Amino acid sequence: MRLFPLMFALLTVIAAPAHAVLRVDINSGIQQPMPIAVPAFATPAVAPTAAGSTDVLGRQMAEVIANDLASSGLFRPLDPAAYTTRVGFPDVAAPQFPSWRTIAAQALVTGSVQANADGTITLGCYLYDVFSEERLDAQNFTATVPTWRRLAHRCADLVYSRLTGETGYFDSRIVYVSETGPKTSRIKRLAIMDQDGANHRFLTNGQSLVLTPRFAPNQQTIAYMSFAQNRPRVYVYNIGSGSQQLVGDFPNMSFAPRFAPDGNSLVLSMAQAGNTDIYRLDIGSRRLTRLTTSPGIDTAASYSPDGTKIVFESDRGGGQQIYVMNADGSGQQRISFGDGRYATPVWSPRGDLIAFTKMGGGQFKIGVMRPDGGGERLLTNSWQDEGPTWSPNGRVIMFFRTGQSSRSRAGNADLWSVDLTGLNERRIQTPLDGSDPAWSPLLR
Amino acid sequence: MTEGRALILTGVAHLALLAGLSLTWSMQQSSFPSFSEAVPVEIVEISDVPRITEPPKPSIDAAPQELTEDAAPEISPVEAAAPEPEPAPEPVKLSPVPALEAKPKPLPEPRKPAPPKAEAKPKAVKKADTATEAQELSSLIDKALPKARRRPVDTSDVARSIEKSLPQGARLDARATATLEQAIRSQVAPCWNPPLGGEDVRNMTVLLRIQLNRGGAVVGAPEVLAQTGVTAGNQAYARAFAESARRAVIRCSPLQLPAEYFDSWKLFELNFDPSKMT
Repeated sequence: MRLFPLMFALLTVIAAPAHAVLRVDINSGIQQPMPIAVPAFATPAVAPTAAGSTDVLGRQMAEVIANDLASSGLFRPLDPAAYTTRVGFPDVAAPQFPSWRTIAAQALVTGSVQANADGTITLGCYLYDVFSEERLDAQNFTATVPTWRRLAHRCADLVYSRLTGETGYFDSRIVYVSETGPKTSRIKRLAIMDQDGANHRFLTNGQSLVLTPRFAPNQQTIAYMSFAQNRPRVYVYNIGSGSQQLVGDFPNMSFAPRFAPDGNSLVLSMAQAGNTDIYRLDIGSRRLTRLTTSPGIDTAASYSPDGTKIVFESDRGGGQQIYVMNADGSGQQRISFGDGRYATPVWSPRGDLIAFTKMGGGQFKIGVMRPDGGGERLLTNSWQDEGPTWSPNGRVIMFFRTGQSSRSRAGNADLWSVDLTGLNERRIQTPLDGSDPAWSPLLR
Repeated sequence: MTEGRALILTGVAHLALLAGLSLTWSMQQSSFPSFSEAVPVEIVEISDVPRITEPPKPSIDAAPQELTEDAAPEISPVEAAAPEPEPAPEPVKLSPVPALEAKPKPLPEPRKPAPPKAEAKPKAVKKADTATEAQELSSLIDKALPKARRRPVDTSDVARSIEKSLPQGARLDARATATLEQAIRSQVAPCWNPPLGGEDVRNMTVLLRIQLNRGGAVVGAPEVLAQTGVTAGNQAYARAFAESARRAVIRCSPLQLPAEYFDSWKLFELNFDPSKMT
C-alpha cells in the first residue's frame, strides 16, 4: 500500500503533457536587396526572328529582367561573371541549385525562348527558391516579335509579385512632357516610353505647348492640356491611331484633366470669371457636371481607385491645401493641415495613400498622407520636386525634379522615381529634359 | 467482523485493480518499460539525480531487452550525422514546358529534400530517446525503491526528481534557456529579409516549427504552425512573408548551438514578428 503514492507520483509525471517546446521570437531582420540570378535564357532550337535569333533574344530578355528587378531596389541581380554554371535548355526546368547557392543567390530566374510557326515568340519564365529548391512559379508568355521586351517585363512582374507578395509594375509605360530649347521659347512635346525608358517616341510635334498628360484606364488614351490655337484646353490622344481630339469646345480655359477609374468620364478644371472649379465630363454624352462652387481655385482633381471620392487642391482657405469630396461633389473636407502649402494630390492605385507636392521654405518636396490626412511623410528632400504619379502597384512614385539655379542643371527638369519608403531614388533617363510624368496602368 | 474483513478485502482488491489498471494505461501512454518483479525503491536527493548532460548508465535489468537492442545500434548514426549537415539536393523533375497557371496556388508545401544518407532516420532518433528515458527512469527507480520502505514518501519530491531526470528542454534553467534563445535569435535574424511592403507587415507574424539534426542543420522543411494578420486581400503577401521566414531558417542552416542542449533545440519554434522593424 505504501507503494501506491509513489505510483501516483509516477503517473502524474508520465501522464503530464509533453513539455513546452522552446519558442524564440525573431523581431529583427535585415533590409537588403535580395540577391537573385537571372542567367541568359536558353532556347530549345536557335531560330532567327525579326528581332534577332532566339539565343540572342534570350540573353537580352534576361538583361531586361535583371534591370527591372534592380530598379525596384528590392533585388540585387548577381553579376553574370560570377556564375559557376551555364543554363542549357534542360537546366531551365531542373536547375543545378548547389552551384547557385555557392554564389549566394537566393532566387533564380530561368527561361526559354522559342520561335513559333505563326511568327510569335514564347518566353517560358521560371522562378526558383535556391535554398528550398522549390519552383515558386512558372508561366509561358507569348507575343509578337517586336514586343519581345514586354515578355521580359511580364516575367519580371511575375518574379516581383511572387517574391514580394505585391503586384508588379514593370509591364507599364510612362507618358511625359519632353522639353528642349531656351527658357523663352521652350518646346514641349508629349512623349511616351516603356517604364524602363525603352521604346521612347514623341507623340506630338511640339508646335503647341502641352501639359499634364494623364493615362486613361485602357492605357491607350491620354488626356492632356494643349495650348493649340493659343487656347488652353483639354484634348485626348489615342496612342494607337495617333489622333487628337478636343474633349469639349468650352468657352473658357480647361485644364488638369484626369480619368475616372471606369474610363467613362474625366474630371477637369475650368476657369470662369476668375473662379476655377472642378467639373466632371461624361465622355459619351459630353455632359458637364459642376462639382465645386467655392470662390477660390479648385483644381488637380484625382479619383480614388474605387471611384467614390475625389481628392483635389483648393486655395479657398488662403494657401493651397488638399481637400477630399464625394464623387458627386458633396462632403468637401480639408485633409492637409501641416506647415506650408500642398498641391497636385494623386490618389494611390491601392487607395491607401495620397501623394502630393509640398511647398514651403522655397522648396518643393514629394510626400504622402492617408486619405484622412494622417500619417504625412515626405519622401524627397531636394530643391524642387513636384508632380507625383504612382506606379500601377502603388509602391513607387515618379515625379520631376528641377535643378537649382546655382547648379549645373539650373532650371532644367528630369524625371525621377522614389520608393514609398523614401529610399531608392533614381533618375529616369530621357533623351531630352522631362517633366510632368504619368504612369500607365499595367498593360494587358 | 467477517463483514468488516470482507469490506477491507474488497477495498484492497479495488485499490489493487485501480493501481494495476492505471499502471497498464500509463505504460501504453509512454512506452514505459514493464517490470513485473518487485523493484527495490530508494529515495534519492535531487542532487543525486543524474544530470541531463550525462548519458545514463544502461540498466539491463530494468530496461526491456528488445528496446535496448533496437535502439543501441542506431544511436551511432545520429552522432555520425553531425559532420555532414548539408542535405543532399535532389534534382527537380519537371516537364520541359511549364504549364500556364491560371490561379495562384495556395501556400505550397515546400518540397522535402531527400534525407542525406549519413543522417539517421527520425524514427531511430525517437526510439533512442525513448530508450534513454526508460533507462534513466529505471535506474532511478532501482535506487529509489528500497528507501521507500524505510521512511514516508513525499510524492511531490519524487515527482520532481523524476521530472528533473528527464532529458528534455523544459528542464533547462532560465539562464540556459535565455542563452539558447539568444544563440538562435542572433543567427536567424541576420538571415531574415522580410518583404516590408505596405501596412500589412505591421500586423503579420508567422510561427514555424524547426527540426534540427545534431549538426544544427535543418531536417526537412520548416513547418508553418500559425500565421497572423492574413486577410482576404493580402494572401499573396502572406505567402511571400511566410516564405521569407522559411528562407531565413534554411539560409542560416546549420545553426551553431551548444551540443549539450541538443534535446532542447532539436525541435523548437520560431515566431517571426517584424512589427518593431522600421
